[in-house]
Amino acid sequence: MNLRDPDSMNVVIGKVLRYGVILSGVIIILGTVGLIASNGLSETASYLNYNPNTIPHDGIDIDPAGLFHGLVTFSAFSWIELGVIVLIATPVSRVLISVFLFAAEKDRMYVLITTVVLCLLLFSMLVTPFIPGFHA
Amino acid sequence: MFVIEFVFLIFLVSIFAGIFGAIVGLGGGIVVIPVLTILFGVDIHFAIGASIVAIIGTSSGAASTYVKDKVTNLRVGMFLELASASGAIVGAAIAAYTNSAALGIIFGSILLISLVPMVIKIGEEIPESPELKGLAKRLGLKGSYTEKDGRVIEYNSTRPAEGLAGTAVAGVLSGLLGIGGGAFKVLSMDIAMKLPMKVSTTTSNFMIGVTAAASAGIYLARGDVDPLIVAPVALGILVGAAVGARVLLRSRNTTIRKVFAVVLAVAAAEMILSALGVLP
Repeated sequence: MNLRDPDSMNVVIGKVLRYGVILSGVIIILGTVGLIASNGLSETASYLNYNPNTIPHDGIDIDPAGLFHGLVTFSAFSWIELGVIVLIATPVSRVLISVFLFAAEKDRMYVLITTVVLCLLLFSMLVTPFIPGFHA
Repeated sequence: MFVIEFVFLIFLVSIFAGIFGAIVGLGGGIVVIPVLTILFGVDIHFAIGASIVAIIGTSSGAASTYVKDKVTNLRVGMFLELASASGAIVGAAIAAYTNSAALGIIFGSILLISLVPMVIKIGEEIPESPELKGLAKRLGLKGSYTEKDGRVIEYNSTRPAEGLAGTAVAGVLSGLLGIGGGAFKVLSMDIAMKLPMKVSTTTSNFMIGVTAAASAGIYLARGDVDPLIVAPVALGILVGAAVGARVLLRSRNTTIRKVFAVVLAVAAAEMILSALGVLP
């Protein structure tokens, strides 16, 4: 594919988004099937009251070691979590790849714009949750 | 209710949310949040966590079609993301010092007021294209897309600074409340920048995934994203978004504007009623 062709940007970004949602969807389906197979859905709903400290399977494990352990031990919840993380990463990948696509088009203005957007996005996702006083 | 029924019902509702979210460019959260809280009694924190996932799913799921078919304007989207991403950080920074009830009433009222220009333009299929000049010209904020009958619609945009300002409001609102950004993005592109309705809703749809991803970190860190709730939401949303995207491409701009106006009224009412404590 010729990346200087103005249409190639639409093709590439469309594919990044499509593969991202398909991958995420497949992983979440596997996790959900695993959950049903392990009879994990037979109890009554316990998460209707918000209390992250007392509900065993509440919240996505963002600790990489904990998530990895869950994946290799085939915890259905961990696989669903991985699928959700892939879904969240999809728009981030789209911004990252746009930087390179604009660079291939030699469009300096948009290389700058998308790089700034990427930095703001990563700062927002990875840094602001840990700044005291942010997010009320 | 047993969990398996709960999961299946949420899946069905999310399909519906994905269809609407993909068409109006708001991402399905405005359906998912009230259904989860009011009908299923899920706590609002988990509902907002699910809504973030719903928005990202609708955005990426539908955008893969919109971008390939060139209805989404990539340059407009990326340019405006400067404002929505900065706004989201500002919103997160000032959240501790604001009263979310007051915010809900203020922003809800702004959405209600913006129904007026929507209704005035209700029969407008394609806006009269403005002359491309100044910043809009330097940034290449123009484009074209092909309608289902083969007509090629060429358009320009205008007033990029106002568009940027409106999108910054959208970003601040997302950073503050986790919801509500999409409506201001569509309105900025429609009212300020004079883009065709389809371009506005699909470009908003393209952008909301990034805005929602920006706030996803905090909801993950807080444990608000429950796998059991978000699994059926994500799957339903992805199915719905694929269907919604095909519906939009076959629809007239006037139809999309009418649907958007109704959804805007509902979103504004939801925002005001939850601020007043009537809704969760």
